[in-house]
Amino acid sequence: MTFLNAVRSFIIVFNYFCMAFTILLSIIYIIQMFVSLFRVRKNYNKHFSDDFRRYVDSHNLLPISLIIPAYNEQENIVQNIRSLMKINYPSYEILVVNDGSTDKTAELVISAFEMHPIETSIRYQIPTKNIRGVYYSKKYPNLLFVDKENGGKSDALNAGINISSYPLFTCLDADSRVERDALLKLSVEFIKDSRTVVAGGIVRIANGSKIVDGELKGFSMPKKLIERFQIVEYYRSFLSGRVFWSATNSLLIVSGAFGLFRKQTVIDVGGYKPNTIGEDMEIVVRIHRYMRKNKIKYKVIFNELSICWTQGPMSLNDIRSQRRRWQIGLMDTLISHRVMTLNPRYGMVGLLSMPYNWIFELFGALVETIGYFLIPFSLIMGELNMFFFVMYFLLAVMLGVILSEGSLVLEQYTHRAAMSAKQSISISIYAILENFGYRQIITIFRVEGILKYRKLRKTWGKIKRKEFEQ
Amino acid sequence: MKVELLSVIGLLLCLIIIGIEYIIHYRLAERQDEHSVRETNINRRMTIRVDGVLRAPTRSCLDSELKAIAEDIDGNYEAYEITIQVMNEVKEKRGDSVEKLIDEVKNEVKPVEIYAQMLDDGDVYHKGYALRRLADLGAVEYKDTMIECLDSKNRDLAYNSAMALALMGDVENVARYIMSIENDRQYSGRIINEFFDDFNGNRADLANCLFEQCNDYMKSTIIKALVPYKIDEFRPMYLEGFSGKNFGMKVACIKALAAFGNPEDEQLLQIAAKDKEWVIRAAAVRGLSLLDSPSALKSVKTALTDKEWWVRQTAANAITNMDISPSDLEDILGGYDRFAADAVKAVLYKKIDSLA
Repeated sequence: MTFLNAVRSFIIVFNYFCMAFTILLSIIYIIQMFVSLFRVRKNYNKHFSDDFRRYVDSHNLLPISLIIPAYNEQENIVQNIRSLMKINYPSYEILVVNDGSTDKTAELVISAFEMHPIETSIRYQIPTKNIRGVYYSKKYPNLLFVDKENGGKSDALNAGINISSYPLFTCLDADSRVERDALLKLSVEFIKDSRTVVAGGIVRIANGSKIVDGELKGFSMPKKLIERFQIVEYYRSFLSGRVFWSATNSLLIVSGAFGLFRKQTVIDVGGYKPNTIGEDMEIVVRIHRYMRKNKIKYKVIFNELSICWTQGPMSLNDIRSQRRRWQIGLMDTLISHRVMTLNPRYGMVGLLSMPYNWIFELFGALVETIGYFLIPFSLIMGELNMFFFVMYFLLAVMLGVILSEGSLVLEQYTHRAAMSAKQSISISIYAILENFGYRQIITIFRVEGILKYRKLRKTWGKIKRKEFEQ
Repeated sequence: MKVELLSVIGLLLCLIIIGIEYIIHYRLAERQDEHSVRETNINRRMTIRVDGVLRAPTRSCLDSELKAIAEDIDGNYEAYEITIQVMNEVKEKRGDSVEKLIDEVKNEVKPVEIYAQMLDDGDVYHKGYALRRLADLGAVEYKDTMIECLDSKNRDLAYNSAMALALMGDVENVARYIMSIENDRQYSGRIINEFFDDFNGNRADLANCLFEQCNDYMKSTIIKALVPYKIDEFRPMYLEGFSGKNFGMKVACIKALAAFGNPEDEQLLQIAAKDKEWVIRAAAVRGLSLLDSPSALKSVKTALTDKEWWVRQTAANAITNMDISPSDLEDILGGYDRFAADAVKAVLYKKIDSLA
């Protein structure tokens, strides 16, 4: 067999492999979408009879510590704290953990809320970097400002856990905004089922939306294409993917921007892993591992009706940095907990969720990218059947559109869309357009993350985001 | 040829699905638009109507405004709830005079009929919602329907009907529902807490009815739920439970006894403050802080140096509520135990600030 024949055989085999891979992935996505459709419908109706607002005055609702790790967040931090003070929840404390910021984060918070240092006892249940001081304000008695040495986001969260007083805590990004009722809806999950240890809410792209004090006041289509694509992408990822994984109690990620945790469980697993950039996924996987290993009944829940708004990156460079970081975080977590993969001891997490993430979320990007380079090569080699190529491409695009459009339907069904009918239909055009260029670019960024795993695994990088409209 | 044909069929199928999705999406988006417009209109209209009711100068004006409200609501539960919500907001500012007007609105609108309609026409979720609202309105004529729904296979409907019966103070049926979920530990804890909170009858009767039939886990959960109500007739049971061997029961009983702040229990609380389990020690410290005797103060001071953080923190919180002398306070603040001093300082800072 000559070298040329070997290359030809490889191309043919790879083409068939790609086709099988795409078909399998599409089938999984479609199953996810159908399961999500039923779940969202059921949850939406159930939500009506649950009448969660009656819990506002209930002392059965567990108090929450809101932990905001802040590193050089001088643009957003004060505004974010003010918006959190207006959330609809009976008992909560806000802990701002300044992770050794080099800008004016500390000065701004201390002066804006008239804070002064106090001595307080801290229960070091998770080791963290040194805490330099704790500040308190008599005007805002449920706000504490913790000043500590720089140690990364995980370390700041661990410090927040140590100093928090309540049984539930949520980690919130300084550049995100939670809706006024969002915590109430998430917290109800903990009293509805005492096995719940983690509950995550939906994160939506705020670009174009006007959010005042955690309330959506209007929507206008964001200017940049990249922002419009992200709106569709987030709907698909949250409404289709996470609802499905939550239904099988094998959800591996609760967004770092908005998740509610039972504090004791996080302490039991040793807190957030320091020096990792995928700390949000890592902690959830570790909780799964710990609970299943110790045969403790538990639930990791996704509640699609609890909403947190975040500003999506606005430039290709920022989105590249973000996606690279996500991919590295995913890879880091999968490698750290590889022992769970295909291990029946870990139930659905080991048998379904972990292999899915390895094959489709991690290596899927590699397969897709190799395909992009092999297609022109196959053409040159004369090994590409144009008819099949066109058909395969169209099928892949259409399946993508079905999924994205399906998520938009789900979103519209829950009556949560802030868009008018006209805007809603025009955003769905991006469900088609994203398949021509955007999707491919994102895939390449993900592959870059895999390739630069060793080099970038401890680097966060800074993304420039738009400020929230006042 | 067959594969090519299949591919084309596949493509056509995808196109059809996309088309259907777009149609559904468009219809839903239109409905959403209509819904938003309707909601804004209702809000605006009902706010104006409520204003009319509040400002009516004479009885005849008030009557005509009330009639107008009833006509506007016209069986729409959302409009009715918005009206009541707006009136309740006004009530918070103006006080009880508005309460009478709310009653008049209710008389005119007849909300029981609105929810009865929902009960007849709605799905299980709407039925559940309607049942609770009917119970809020004291519609006893629907009690039989509530009892009927209690046996529903749908968990949400059964829960909502039991909640409605709890609001009506029905001991027998609420107890029956609670016993039906006795072994569902993930669910029963929440149910017991909620039902005892919202129960509008005699809580002691409900507890007695449950104590007769339930297991120890349920018993301890009920005792914990009863803590804020300090029901005297259960004190002998709490004393017995505390000296028993069941840990859950022991914790529940000491919490319940601690809430009474009864000087007779001091000796028992002193013993509990030395227990090997920190949960029991913390509960005992809380109870001792209500007694204000020198020996109780001494025990709480000792608890400030407890090896468990929670006990120290509880003691620090408790001691500032007790009749502590400045010299005792100085002893703690300047003492060798940094954690005790820190815990007390933190509590004092907050107390002083809240007084300032």
